[in-house]
Amino acid sequence: MIYESARFVFKGSFRTKSFVEFARHRAERLGLDVQFGQANVEAIAVNVSGAVELVDAFEMACSLGPLDCFVLDVVRDGGGVVAAGV
Amino acid sequence: MRLEDCWHPLGLSHSIEAGSSAGTRLLDRELVVWRDRSGIAHIWEDRCPHRGMKLSFGFVRGDHIACLYHGWQYNSGGHCQYIPAHPALDVPKTIKVPAYPVHERNGMIWATLSENPAAAPENDEPVVPLRSLYLGCSFDAAVEALSTCRLVPLASEAPVETVVSRVTNTLLAVSCAQDKLLIGIQVISKTRTALHLSLCGSAQRYQGAGQAHFNAWALQLRHAAEHVRATHAASDRDVA
Repeated sequence: MIYESARFVFKGSFRTKSFVEFARHRAERLGLDVQFGQANVEAIAVNVSGAVELVDAFEMACSLGPLDCFVLDVVRDGGGVVAAGV
Repeated sequence: MRLEDCWHPLGLSHSIEAGSSAGTRLLDRELVVWRDRSGIAHIWEDRCPHRGMKLSFGFVRGDHIACLYHGWQYNSGGHCQYIPAHPALDVPKTIKVPAYPVHERNGMIWATLSENPAAAPENDEPVVPLRSLYLGCSFDAAVEALSTCRLVPLASEAPVETVVSRVTNTLLAVSCAQDKLLIGIQVISKTRTALHLSLCGSAQRYQGAGQAHFNAWALQLRHAAEHVRATHAASDRDVA
């Protein structure tokens, strides 16, 4: 298994509380560690770490967002392998 | 006692064979009832955590069920144990389908949605499964129709008193002469109810002609329950 830490910036139109709750729920479901950075009505930054497949799944899940938010773009950076194991 | 705290029958035990699954609804929640290859019944939320597909459309393999959509496999505890697209992934325990307690008695499969449920129905008498009926009426209308029903005994055409007693909130016993029917009431929604019927006694006594006799009675019962519903609706309109 390969573990990764990645930083996402979701850009679009947000109700920040709604999106943060949505993203936190998805991260918990996927067993990822999550921390939120700057958040405003146009962009929300999120740091996650965990199995690389599940970090990818997190990006996919959040790219839809909750009903009251529009995600128009996702910028992913800072990613890197933090550990590898069997 | 709130209905949410009761045990509810979701079907006759014999209607879910080992290695099969079926979707149902209880108190407006969609549930999957599935039986693993060893015969143990499981009742879960009918929704794959991945993309929301109904797990009742999935495949039972051994002691797990796999979603039809992307093949995610869930063990008997509800935990996802294998994702075909990521075979090397150690799936986190957080990917889990909500599972509910299951109890099999009276020839029926029972579940509760409550964390502090009432006592589960008990019965050690042998039973013969009769049938399930799906009614277009409320739980109250079904109970009302059952409380005034009259049963014709198998052995005689002569009128004999029918006794209806409540075993639990969702299980009634209807007795007449030597015959006794157990009727589990499933609350599907406010306007839909299912009845699951078993006959107390031996297969030797009831299989075949006995089942046909009480099956005909059950169809009349459905008509009566839906008539109660229609009467209630008419009186509601009169009040309005």
